[in-house]
Amino acid sequence: MLFLDKEQQGLPYFLVVLRFMNNDRNRQIHEITGQLRLIWKEPILFLLILLIFYFLFTFVVFPIFQVVKNSVYIGGKWDFSNYVAIFSKRYFIQPFFNSIILGIYTATLGSIAGFIFAYALTRTSLPFKNFFRTTATFPIISPPFIVALAAILLFGRAGSFTPWVKSIIGNYSIYGLSGLVLVETIAYSPTAFLVLYGVLEAIDPSLEEASMDLGASWGKVFTTVTLPLATPGIASAWLLVFIQSMADFGNPMVISGNYRVLSVQAYLQITGMYDLPRGSTLAMLLLLPTITAFFLQKYWVSRKSYVTVTGKPTGATIKNLEWYIKLPIYSACIIYAGIVLLFYGTIVYGSFQTLWGVNPTLTLKNYVEMFEVGKDYLYHSVLLSSIATPVTGIVGIFISFLIIRKNFIGRGLMEFISMLTFAVPGTVVGIGYILAFNQKTVLMPVVLTGTAWIIIILLIFRDMPVGIRSGIAALQQIDPAIEEASTDLGADSNTTFRKITLPMIAPAFFSGLAFGFVKAMTAISAIIFVVSGRWNLITVAILGFVDNTQYARAAAMSIILIIIILVALGLIQLFVNRVGKGVRMTTIIE
Amino acid sequence: MKKFLWVFLIILLLVFCANGNVMAQKQVLRIYTAFDTEEAKYYIDAFEEETGIDVQWVRLSSGEVLARIEAESSNPQASVWHAGSNTSHINAASKGLLEPYKPNIDFDLPELLHADDWAWTGFYTGAIGFITNTNFLEENNVEAPTSWDDLLNPIFKENVALAYPYTSGTAYTTFATLVQMWGMENALDWWEEFDRHSVFQYTQSGTACIGMVGLGEIAVGIAFSHDIIAKGINTGYPVVMTFPEDGTGYEVGGLSLIKGGPEPELGKQFINWCYSVEAQNLFQQYSRLPVNPKATVAEGSVTLDDVSLIEYDHILAGESKDDWVGAWRDRIGK
Repeated sequence: MLFLDKEQQGLPYFLVVLRFMNNDRNRQIHEITGQLRLIWKEPILFLLILLIFYFLFTFVVFPIFQVVKNSVYIGGKWDFSNYVAIFSKRYFIQPFFNSIILGIYTATLGSIAGFIFAYALTRTSLPFKNFFRTTATFPIISPPFIVALAAILLFGRAGSFTPWVKSIIGNYSIYGLSGLVLVETIAYSPTAFLVLYGVLEAIDPSLEEASMDLGASWGKVFTTVTLPLATPGIASAWLLVFIQSMADFGNPMVISGNYRVLSVQAYLQITGMYDLPRGSTLAMLLLLPTITAFFLQKYWVSRKSYVTVTGKPTGATIKNLEWYIKLPIYSACIIYAGIVLLFYGTIVYGSFQTLWGVNPTLTLKNYVEMFEVGKDYLYHSVLLSSIATPVTGIVGIFISFLIIRKNFIGRGLMEFISMLTFAVPGTVVGIGYILAFNQKTVLMPVVLTGTAWIIIILLIFRDMPVGIRSGIAALQQIDPAIEEASTDLGADSNTTFRKITLPMIAPAFFSGLAFGFVKAMTAISAIIFVVSGRWNLITVAILGFVDNTQYARAAAMSIILIIIILVALGLIQLFVNRVGKGVRMTTIIE
Repeated sequence: MKKFLWVFLIILLLVFCANGNVMAQKQVLRIYTAFDTEEAKYYIDAFEEETGIDVQWVRLSSGEVLARIEAESSNPQASVWHAGSNTSHINAASKGLLEPYKPNIDFDLPELLHADDWAWTGFYTGAIGFITNTNFLEENNVEAPTSWDDLLNPIFKENVALAYPYTSGTAYTTFATLVQMWGMENALDWWEEFDRHSVFQYTQSGTACIGMVGLGEIAVGIAFSHDIIAKGINTGYPVVMTFPEDGTGYEVGGLSLIKGGPEPELGKQFINWCYSVEAQNLFQQYSRLPVNPKATVAEGSVTLDDVSLIEYDHILAGESKDDWVGAWRDRIGK
């Protein structure tokens, strides 16, 4: 990874150009003149690309660069002693393997759960679809550590379900890998579901129908048509859940027991030992598997073509499936929905208890007291998230459009950088933000710490990968010929994007928007470092309650948070339905 | 799309104006507090009411405060670091992040309760104790532990929790107590056995074990007496508090002025207020032990005279933290 000095921000574009020139001269020069002609023809697009690069470098690369610098540049000279220490101590390196194992389990189980739900909702006649869709996405709208708390209350040593579970599987402990996998699967499978639902919805069912009409069995259709078409979506989903699980720190904080994971260890190294350099070094280890996963996914996805929107009208009818196919799918959905309801039911029930786990007398006092302490936090969370979310959505969809549809030098770099915030643990991003924006720099000539801006900006760039990913998944389903047709008829990039691409990817845009808002409202690990006396957020307050073992009050506050998010999601859904009428695929093409 | 952008721009403008207005209007005191949200609000509201000074505060753990002050050292955002174990304050002072200030008080602050140069001062204390679930004791027909070796009793096998010494002031004080009492080697030998036999899990925060004991997740936790009383006993959990008779350590809650912070005069005023009888009396609510001799001690509280204290050297413990924690991690491997 090449990190450039402050003054060189706009330059990577041209540096890459220069390097290319040395290779294969004629062909490269031809390409460059092509690029330059593009700049001439579409100056606004070119400027927008430069602007996006500026933002990405300032708010993504620069803070992380500050953290990297802190890990290797001590007291004015290069010093790799932190890395030596980490690789030579078992207690530093073990969490690295623990995190990867956890990430693989969670990503696999989460993707499977998400796929089953998405398939059941888009391809079968599952009754009560709205109920199942809500249940599948529900865990996403609460701060993740609340799921871990519910798990302890249900399955912990003194949990309500513990004697029953013990009689079936014998002695077990919820603290550790198995508990973490359970909790993180519940917390992060909605991510997989959202991605896969968008993808499966975008795959034209008539392809599967054609296959079926030609005599293929359900299994044959599924393995040769549905699954290959959904592969990039599954890869995206797996990758997203893997990274989320690796970087998650709320759940491990509560339930990891003695199973130490990297993100928490990095956090503890920084907050417990005040050891910024070594904590940063641990965090750098997190990047390794993430980058590997990222390139693996790119290679795999790019080998196949997934265009299914052909411009022909779709007659979306769902074939009645055989009972032996429906039964396992339906049962899986029902069981999973049951588990989710159980977890959240425990939290709702707990929020009305006088003392969670000990005195079950029902009371409203948690809500009253919580509101007295927390109403400012609540207001700030809603305000700042409402500002950050639309920006996340717009910039995210625009970047995904550039990455998929536009051919420009630095495209891979743009995709890579925009994924970076997602891959780095929030704590490190938070520390990086303080290090980077506590002083005036060439990149950012105003001091941002202590203002609302630093929180807004952090929220925007933390959540951006979600918008980009859903945009990419949606765009990969649309035949570029539709856009090319528009360009051939004389429209420029701008018009084509606005009039053709944007309406077609609107559902993905809004699912990105919805998720972005939820993420902003429930963010904790990075945010905790940039909140200030003037601007503080509800999740920080909830973590304070959890830390203080005031579980009932934390639950009450989480319930309020969940209600606010539900209302906001409802509003976005209403808006999608209104927009949805005008942008059906068939309408545009006819 | 365009409308959307306009709405967004207007919102941005409003936020900016709101932000600017407040900053221009009034002097505010900015505080980082390591008390938890509710407790911090209890004290700070009292201060605001009494003085009319507007306080903006953020609640963070001591470690987070320190990391933050360090990161912000070129442009400090807060003037006062309120609460948190004095070990972290000592660590900050050794990094030159604090501004020495001798509070204006009418009583003698014992030497162990402040830095030599007054970079930090202590404003409450509390001893290390054991918290035990009474249901567990009844079921197993045992007594609550009253010595460190009691924790090695097989009945408590994998039934004890406390925080990592490197993440929590409470757990570090526990370890530092043993080191000062028995010497490093003996302390590590004891802990190795303790770790293998008794420890169910280490937590991040020093108070997390209180809730775990209360909920019956584990039998015994190790924490500060004021936390055990306020968050365990007073909350209504079925728990009992005991102290190791062979000697225990104690914490001093630190208070310090951040070097270069905005509005230092308001900060000094706040620090002075924290030592007033009125402010020290407020500690009754959370069972902390006041340092002002005129203040009232909460009923049911254990004062430092009631338990067998060792001669705990906070300054040595604070300055040796990196070394001692390193030794602990090398031996225990966690």
